[in-house]
Amino acid sequence: MQARVVITGLGVVSPIGVGIDEFWKAALAGRSGISGITGFDPFSMDGYRSKVAGQVRDFSPERYIDRVQADRVDRYAQFALVAAKEALADSGLRMEKEDAHRVGVIVGAGMGGMVMGEREITQLYNYQKPHRVHPNFIPVITLNSASGIVAMAYGAKGPNVTISTACSSSAHALGQGLHCIREGRADVVIVVGADASITPLVFAGFCSLRALSSKFNDHPEKASRPFDRGRDGFVMGEGAGALILESLAHAKKRKARIYAEAAGYAATSEAYHMVIPREDGEEVAVTMKLALADAGAIPAQVDYINAHATSTAIGDAVEAKAIRRLFRSRADKIAVSATKSLVGHTLGAAGAIGAIASVLALYSGQIHPTANYDDPDPACELAGISNTAQERKVRTALLNAFGFGSNNAAVVLTRYAA
Amino acid sequence: MSDRAVLEKIIQALAEYLKREAAAIKPSHHLRDDLGLDSMAVIELLYKIEEVFNFQIPDQDLVGLTTVDSVAAYVEGRLAPAPTSISPGRRTKSSLKAGTSPKSKKKR
Repeated sequence: MQARVVITGLGVVSPIGVGIDEFWKAALAGRSGISGITGFDPFSMDGYRSKVAGQVRDFSPERYIDRVQADRVDRYAQFALVAAKEALADSGLRMEKEDAHRVGVIVGAGMGGMVMGEREITQLYNYQKPHRVHPNFIPVITLNSASGIVAMAYGAKGPNVTISTACSSSAHALGQGLHCIREGRADVVIVVGADASITPLVFAGFCSLRALSSKFNDHPEKASRPFDRGRDGFVMGEGAGALILESLAHAKKRKARIYAEAAGYAATSEAYHMVIPREDGEEVAVTMKLALADAGAIPAQVDYINAHATSTAIGDAVEAKAIRRLFRSRADKIAVSATKSLVGHTLGAAGAIGAIASVLALYSGQIHPTANYDDPDPACELAGISNTAQERKVRTALLNAFGFGSNNAAVVLTRYAA
Repeated sequence: MSDRAVLEKIIQALAEYLKREAAAIKPSHHLRDDLGLDSMAVIELLYKIEEVFNFQIPDQDLVGLTTVDSVAAYVEGRLAPAPTSISPGRRTKSSLKAGTSPKSKKKR
């Protein structure tokens, strides 16, 4: 028999708070974490079309983790370490009591160590001194640096994998964590999503891609507005989310507090276009349907969808269309919220942070608002989207995440009933 | 620069991008429907045009840039001396035409 998988610990680093309590309080209040970009020195923001982002301001890693350790890794991996630390503490898991080889780490990251990456490349090209490239450059920019450092920091010797599927990375990490435990390859998986690439080059790249909001540079808190008629692109964010997954048997044995069950997962490719979704929503609908099937659930059971909803014109409309396509008359009865309205699009961290919002909805019965949903766009109107918090007993939640490279992920999370 | 010269430069940029003969590209061609450019390809084309004519095209101006002609008219508007009543080149007739914004196709 396949193991059931539950979630027993949460941790987060986000533009609206470091730590679950701060994050959730701000999320329920609909507080935006989007602000004008600082810290691009010596670059001025003048040449950038978009000038706003969801930044984790005043982040001092040494407040949370060992200073030497923090110094050896890039910002995204620092976020990962901090989020994982909180999640582990929250779960009550004591690593010294665990079989270390049965504890895995699966990290989703889209961009990786871009802070050092950009710095070293710039220096090399400017000064042409190859011998001055930092000795830690390769270990830092290698995309599995976060999954490596999290395992080292907390002594997890089980499967250690990094998944990089752009904006859906950590939804896939969550799904793979679920399957890893379900298949008996680990008892516990520390799932983390992390990215911190609000850096001069990456940000310029997203600007050139014309993917970012540029209409609200003077009102940053208004820029991320999924499903709203005035949306004009996504807002970059940064952060990390961590979830402790374990088999139900393992959680019960140690009498852990159980937040929710991770019940199903599906991964698909639209095999269509690097950055454009299929406009009919068919592939997204199929992905949600497959995830529900994996959970042994049917569409009629879904109460809440944590939408991918990045605040782009086409992306939000396609997702709404897909929801309507799959759920038909039920589509308007499902509560829907977009976590990116609060924190921006945290790329590789987005799936994990959305999953945390979903788990908390299942656990607390509260659904955070979709900020700036002031003027519903008829192209993606669903009755369950609200710019205020909703209270509802959620039994089955669906998390959507889609990424460049034509990939889709959906994860089903359910209320845990003992 | 004459209007004709602008149009020729745009057609040349398109020909290079599409790996086609410039003669096969007509001013009336719709970028998507006739030339097969998807929204990403339009953005790449505009990136090239920004380089050729040395100015930036704000996101808001993408709406309406749907045909070879409309791109040429937009570029001409940007190159023309700015009337004092509007900010330089931010708004042209072509930019106000209804149409599918290439940006609107971006997702994820």
